[in-house]
Amino acid sequence: MMDDNFAIIFERVSKKFRRGQKLLLKEALIDIFMPQKTEPFWALKDISFKIKKGETVGIIGNNGSGKSTILKLIAGVMYPTKGKVVVNGRINPLIELGAGFHPELTGRENIYLNGTILGLTIPQIDERFDEIVSFAELGDFIDSPLKHYSSGMYMRLGFSVAIFTEPKILLVDEILAVGDREFQKKCFKKMDEFKKNNITIVIVTHEMESVRKFCDRVILLSDGIIKDDGRPDKLLSEYLKLIK
Amino acid sequence: MNKIFPYLKYKDLFLQLTLREIKSKYKQSILGYAWVVLVPLLNLLVLNIVFSFVFRVKTGNIPYAIYLFVGLVPWTFTANAISAATSSLIANSTLITKVNFLREIIPFSAIAAKLVDFLLISIILVIFLVIYHIPPHLSLLFIPLIFIVQLGLVTGISLILSSINVFFRDVENILNVFLTVWMYLTPVLYPPEFIPSNVRFLFGLNPMTGIINSYRNVILYGVLPPWNSFAFSIVITLTTVLFGLWLFKRNEKSFADVI
Repeated sequence: MMDDNFAIIFERVSKKFRRGQKLLLKEALIDIFMPQKTEPFWALKDISFKIKKGETVGIIGNNGSGKSTILKLIAGVMYPTKGKVVVNGRINPLIELGAGFHPELTGRENIYLNGTILGLTIPQIDERFDEIVSFAELGDFIDSPLKHYSSGMYMRLGFSVAIFTEPKILLVDEILAVGDREFQKKCFKKMDEFKKNNITIVIVTHEMESVRKFCDRVILLSDGIIKDDGRPDKLLSEYLKLIK
Repeated sequence: MNKIFPYLKYKDLFLQLTLREIKSKYKQSILGYAWVVLVPLLNLLVLNIVFSFVFRVKTGNIPYAIYLFVGLVPWTFTANAISAATSSLIANSTLITKVNFLREIIPFSAIAAKLVDFLLISIILVIFLVIYHIPPHLSLLFIPLIFIVQLGLVTGISLILSSINVFFRDVENILNVFLTVWMYLTPVLYPPEFIPSNVRFLFGLNPMTGIINSYRNVILYGVLPPWNSFAFSIVITLTTVLFGLWLFKRNEKSFADVI
């Protein structure tokens, strides 16, 4: 059994994708007669790490370094080709804010939809409804269809529903794109609260600045391999070398 | 409890996704949800004109219009539900790549949304039965059984096609042609006696034949379902559901890789 002190364990995890996957029957048929090489592409190569409960970890790396694949493996939407992923506790992916939002439905209807997608029950949403709406600062717009929302409002609503699901593990993808400056401040305050409440947070980003301010630990990825793993201030110079 | 029956945990999600399907579809149109009833009625009108006045299909004591309607209503559910469920996973690709939940919920809620349409048009069917003076027979008690078999068949086929459609998008395109051909091979527009007796056993291999004939027997004629063909439909349904679940479970692990 897994150690109870850990929220996430990756044990020699590799993930293979096939480039040029056949999505049409035509291509698959042609492939039978004229086989083309579908070169396997290893997004992650034999990666191991453990994240303790309550730790705030930033995963940084260039595009294609395997960051998002790690998040998807933690979220349980993808499965490793080799190795083992163990996750302990309710996960909330802030990967895509507003998963399942429908533009024709009102804000109210979308809160219920999105909330249940993230694993809440209807009574739980009833209970938190007012908090969600006030955090998102939507006011009268709550009963208008989502298509009339500005992109800022849309993001705010998505973020609000996500944080009120009370996750044990929070997965965050490029969080800093949310809304205006004021709202970003509010988000960070909320994230600080999570941190104090011993919630495990995994952030994937390019932006080193926020990682340095916010994370206890940084995992540096490059081409599917962990280049370095440690305190953010120590890793910063390594990262700057890498992106050059 | 959740271990024994994992679906219970997802009942709220199932409900919300179904509501989204229903609400979003008709929000933009003036007549709104009335279309659910209007489309089959217009269909019925056209088919009735073509087959009773032009081709003069004979259906004995039962007027052709009501004979057709009793077959067309369940057929429409089968066709619409399979069609909606097949494209449902692709339509919800963002959910599949971001959030982990029981994947079957997506095609199931697509079917459920069509089930609501089916119930509404069934009310119209009841009104028609009264207008045509078809008495309520005791055999109507078989309807739940026939319906469960039909729903099982639809679910099984939907699990198979939706999970294949993730890998081969052709399925979605060819499906409409297939459904049209399937309707003509099922005694929906004509009575089963129209099928030449030397090929009748071939038509019997179609599981919808037993289901449509059973509905007509218990609603229009007040007799039991034709047990031979209905029993065959039950066997096919069970096989399809089991195979569908197995295939879906096997495929779902790579949904997020390719979608």
